[in-house]
Amino acid sequence: MHAQPHHHDIFRLRDVTVHYGRRCALEHLTTQIPCGGLVALVGPNGAGKSTLLRSLLGWLPLTTGEIRLGDHHPRHLHPRLTYVPQRADVEWDFPISVREVVAQGRWPTLGLFGRFQPADNTLVDRALTELELTALAGEQIRRLSGGQQQRMFLARAIAQGADIFLLDEPFNGLDLSATAELIHLLQGWQAQGRTVIAAIHDLTLARKYFPHAVLLDTRLVAAGPTADVLSEANLAIAYRHRLPVLGARP
Amino acid sequence: MSLHALIIEPLSHGFMQRGLASALLLSISGGLLGSVLVLRRMALMGDALAHSLLPGIALAWLVLGRGPLALLTGALVAGLLTALGSALLSRLTRLKEDAAFGAFFLIAYAGGIALINQAGTRVDLLHFLCGHILGVGPADLWLSAGAAGLTVLLFTLVQRGIVLEIFDPIFARAAGFRGGWFHLGFLALAVLNLVAALQTMGVILALGLFLLPAATAYLWCDRFRGMLVLAALIGMAGSTAGLLLSYHTGLSSGPAIVLSLGVAFLASALGSPRYGLVSALQLAWRERRAVRHTAD
Repeated sequence: MHAQPHHHDIFRLRDVTVHYGRRCALEHLTTQIPCGGLVALVGPNGAGKSTLLRSLLGWLPLTTGEIRLGDHHPRHLHPRLTYVPQRADVEWDFPISVREVVAQGRWPTLGLFGRFQPADNTLVDRALTELELTALAGEQIRRLSGGQQQRMFLARAIAQGADIFLLDEPFNGLDLSATAELIHLLQGWQAQGRTVIAAIHDLTLARKYFPHAVLLDTRLVAAGPTADVLSEANLAIAYRHRLPVLGARP
Repeated sequence: MSLHALIIEPLSHGFMQRGLASALLLSISGGLLGSVLVLRRMALMGDALAHSLLPGIALAWLVLGRGPLALLTGALVAGLLTALGSALLSRLTRLKEDAAFGAFFLIAYAGGIALINQAGTRVDLLHFLCGHILGVGPADLWLSAGAAGLTVLLFTLVQRGIVLEIFDPIFARAAGFRGGWFHLGFLALAVLNLVAALQTMGVILALGLFLLPAATAYLWCDRFRGMLVLAALIGMAGSTAGLLLSYHTGLSSGPAIVLSLGVAFLASALGSPRYGLVSALQLAWRERRAVRHTAD
């Protein structure tokens, strides 16, 4: 379906290990993640999905190994590369409007001091329009629905000018219609050649909509086409420490 | 009582002018720092930090004399030791940050009181703890101006970093903003302003000038900049009212200012149309009635 990704558009992870204090969150991970499409990072809680996302951003100190996109260290890739937080990780009572959050997307480019130019405002307006948030631009962010909150962060990512989006549990806390809406949106992005790498714990969603998957259990269990990665045998390995009720029921 | 006797006569005294000028200046920086404390949920931690400055200040007073520079040095050392000590304990042992901070500040506080007691009558403990408007000298005023100026300057320069650090720290990292400077810088600014506020507010209540205006403004504002400005204005109004109250009643200036700010806070907590208690209860009551109607 997709052309072979160019060398510059492949994340190469070599022997990546990350520690938080004494706890090891990722162990000796070596794999490749192709850009241009939807990629699911799958695994049980504590498998290192969020850690892997943050490592791909390039600011998490690695105990061993390296990550490159093409020839570049990921830290040198913002604004191309952007992060969309888990909704629970954000302070929703912060006194800020939807438009102001979307405008933050310009900050990685402008830095601490750069002034907003008309071009920046145009990018923000366009992002608000693309995600159908224009009518809500002046609202305090707590007043949005779950789906709208998720779209606001996607709009910030668009305003940044990114084409690689790292999403942390984007479907968490969304109801059925908001989930369907988000999937529809991401599929549209896929068709435009944008890359979405999402940490996901819902295996059904991953199977149905994400062509490529990486299965983790602090170590790499498998990576590749989702149907192969999420096989019974692989899931049994990844979820072997979990209670059967909590484990992988496809 | 005439307007003249109520306001103009008190402010004709040099010590009142200095006290008021210092409080007005610190209201500006206090509004900024307090807003970060409130939004970052660090209010109690800030209080603990303020109290832990006591032994450093007491020791500096006894050894180096009561110049602002001596007090600042003592307070900085005490504040940094508390912050570093509790950070070490919470990182490397099973103690969590609140317990570590709480333990440190209690020990420091007791040590400070012991030091002041040792000094006997040389230092009045009550002035230390509750503030004393007569204590504001010209040098203290310069310190307040410096603290306020530096705080406003830094907030203006790195406002984007501050917003992201509170609102979405991971995006801040991804955008290339460094978090370590934020914590260290905030701590240093807080200690600087607390020391500057010491003469007027006293050790126990110094944080009141920062925290109460910001918490009040938070009940009214849906924009960060609006919150900063409103907090500064509330702080200015409250400290003016408090100093006059202190002048007329003989109450220590610290409690007088905090009580004035407290009135504004309680009124807002009850009556703010969007985020006040009354409107929240009204909403809950209306929702319950609606549910009962649909059940019928």
